[in-house]
Amino acid sequence: MKKKNSLLKIIGPYWYFVLLFLLVGFLMLYPLGSGIYLSLWRKNFLYPARDSFVWFENFFRLLFQDDVFWKALKNSLVFTAGSVFFEYLAGLGSGLLLNSKYVPLKNFFRGVVLLPWVVPIAVNSLNWRWMLLPEYGFVNVMLTRIGLGSLARGWLSSLTWAMPTVIFVNVWRSFPFFTITILAGLTLIPKELYEASELDGATRWQEFRFITLPSIKKISMVIIVLHVIWTFANFDVIYLLTAGGPLNRTEVLPTYLYQQAFRFFDMGYASSIGVFVFFFLLVTVGFYFTRFSSFSSQ
Amino acid sequence: MYIQKLVVTLFMVGLLALPGAALSAREIVLEVWQPFDPATSVDAVAREELYRQYEQLNPGIKIKPSILEYGDLHEKLVVAGAARRGPDIVHMLGEWVPEFVRMGIINDVTDQAMAWEDREYFPQSTWDVATQEDRIYGIPSIASPRVLLYREDYLKQAGFDGPPESWEEMIEVAKRITESIPGVYGFAYCSSTKAIRGPQEFLPFLWQTGAEWVIYENGEWKPGFTVAQAEEVFQLYLDLLPSTPSDSIGWEYLEMDNSFVVGQSAMCHNGSWMQIYADRAGEAFQHWRGAPMPANQNRATYFEVKVDGVGAFSNHKEEAWKFLSWLMGKDQMARHSRHDNLPSRTDVIALPEFQEDEWKKPFFEVIADGKSFPPIPMSESNKAMMTKLQEVLCGQKTPFEAAEELLAFLENHLVLVNQ
Repeated sequence: MKKKNSLLKIIGPYWYFVLLFLLVGFLMLYPLGSGIYLSLWRKNFLYPARDSFVWFENFFRLLFQDDVFWKALKNSLVFTAGSVFFEYLAGLGSGLLLNSKYVPLKNFFRGVVLLPWVVPIAVNSLNWRWMLLPEYGFVNVMLTRIGLGSLARGWLSSLTWAMPTVIFVNVWRSFPFFTITILAGLTLIPKELYEASELDGATRWQEFRFITLPSIKKISMVIIVLHVIWTFANFDVIYLLTAGGPLNRTEVLPTYLYQQAFRFFDMGYASSIGVFVFFFLLVTVGFYFTRFSSFSSQ
Repeated sequence: MYIQKLVVTLFMVGLLALPGAALSAREIVLEVWQPFDPATSVDAVAREELYRQYEQLNPGIKIKPSILEYGDLHEKLVVAGAARRGPDIVHMLGEWVPEFVRMGIINDVTDQAMAWEDREYFPQSTWDVATQEDRIYGIPSIASPRVLLYREDYLKQAGFDGPPESWEEMIEVAKRITESIPGVYGFAYCSSTKAIRGPQEFLPFLWQTGAEWVIYENGEWKPGFTVAQAEEVFQLYLDLLPSTPSDSIGWEYLEMDNSFVVGQSAMCHNGSWMQIYADRAGEAFQHWRGAPMPANQNRATYFEVKVDGVGAFSNHKEEAWKFLSWLMGKDQMARHSRHDNLPSRTDVIALPEFQEDEWKKPFFEVIADGKSFPPIPMSESNKAMMTKLQEVLCGQKTPFEAAEELLAFLENHLVLVNQ
């Protein structure tokens, strides 16, 4: 009886994880496995008679025969790097401001800075799309009114400006997450460190470089990695703004996947794009964590 | 004790659920997936009233409409079809019919359609859109040709008494309006790669050169145009470009329609639904006019036929057909196609309220020039058309290069279609 009770005590808590494992398995592992399996098939809804198991033919076509894939991969990297870089800068800058003792009404602005984040992505993207209209969008009208009409242009239809514009909209939408997270990290830095450095004659820049940045390094790394993953796999912002246009200038892998699946019904090929994105992120993030963990332990 | 409680609880739940189950067993719910929104469309309000009327005439039948914009409707049907699910009644663009037939999403209603006494009131050209390989997959519910929609006041202001009747005149009129009226552009068109409106404008221009997109010869589909013919179309777009709103490359239908409604552009190809913007256009609406497409070798125009069919995975196919054929009856169609949509039945078009409608007259006059998309899956073709067009408009390719590549794409693509 005693043995039975002690066994129940040991395994008892794990019963609470069963549901979680089932959910994770069903909601994540099963779709992932299905996607990988589907990527090994030639499967197009329009030509069901041609469905067949083709091993890695889709991946061969993806990597060696599809120019648009490489454009989309390049755009994904540019979009991700550009977005995360400027999000971090904007988040760090606004976080430092909101932590500063010289800024009045801090609590009010801490709420206001969250507004872009809480607006649904679809609403945000569609609003920006209308504001960026060439002829009567808010942005160009305002530029003209303040005498900068020469800067007005088709922000989303220009071959040159479409990608910087979508990066801007994404940064505007996402930087509050960096702000709040970095702000949380900043508030945890002991004030004594700054007092001690002041006594030692450190400049503001030295304080920032040798106290602030190292203190928020770990939290920065975590949110950068998260945003790299989220941004690389982001579909809705670009789809709603430009749908990958003009002329594939903003086509990223998620929008390309969507086009293959829901415009051309080539499910096998679309799945291969999805599998590529998954493994690309897995390898990239895994490499980064390996470097980071080995670096931080030095 | 625990087991006793469980048994009693299950018994009580079953007892409570029984009346509901019995009720639902008697009631048939017909799900209708369609884009008609009573909030924005007068015809949609009429449809809702007709649904309620049908329910009263047929106790035990409930009509449950879902309102989905065309893009979402298409995707939802594809995804549901992949899961072997779907509505009882499907509303489709004509160009979706070949895709959905291949995917097995819509039901073959040939026997019912052939036995239907009202069949003769629908022109054969509309039945052709609902037909694939001699099998009928729905009832053509809306048949609306496109016209050259123009602002009569702008044309007069620029010195023109009437609309252009040829490509050369269209280019000249657009150019003069752009030069002489500040803030107004002579023409607007769509060139988005993600929407259907661009190809709906491109193909009529191609048809007007005497070409087809594809032809069926010796048991297979072949390209229906030459490089020269496609080049002529790309050149037309390029010639019109200076007269179009700045940065309008990649426009979808909303931007183009809006551009016309707010008076930014003077001419465009458009359909009868533009009437829904009458209030927004205000006084300017009285200057809106429609005319046949300016001609080249001919004045072919896009004849948009929308089809309502029975879902392949419906559990109530018979009831669905009965409802659909009732909804497309003469009196019912006269009610739900009175305003923004155009009826497909000839006996409805012949009614005085339609014949005397000044807005609808230009559309009825060009029905004979109307042509529909070819009966093959067109998604990839549409994307290729618009991609090449954008490359020409952005100066990346000459019209000749774009035409060559478009033909090469089609030749390659038809190999798959013919398999």
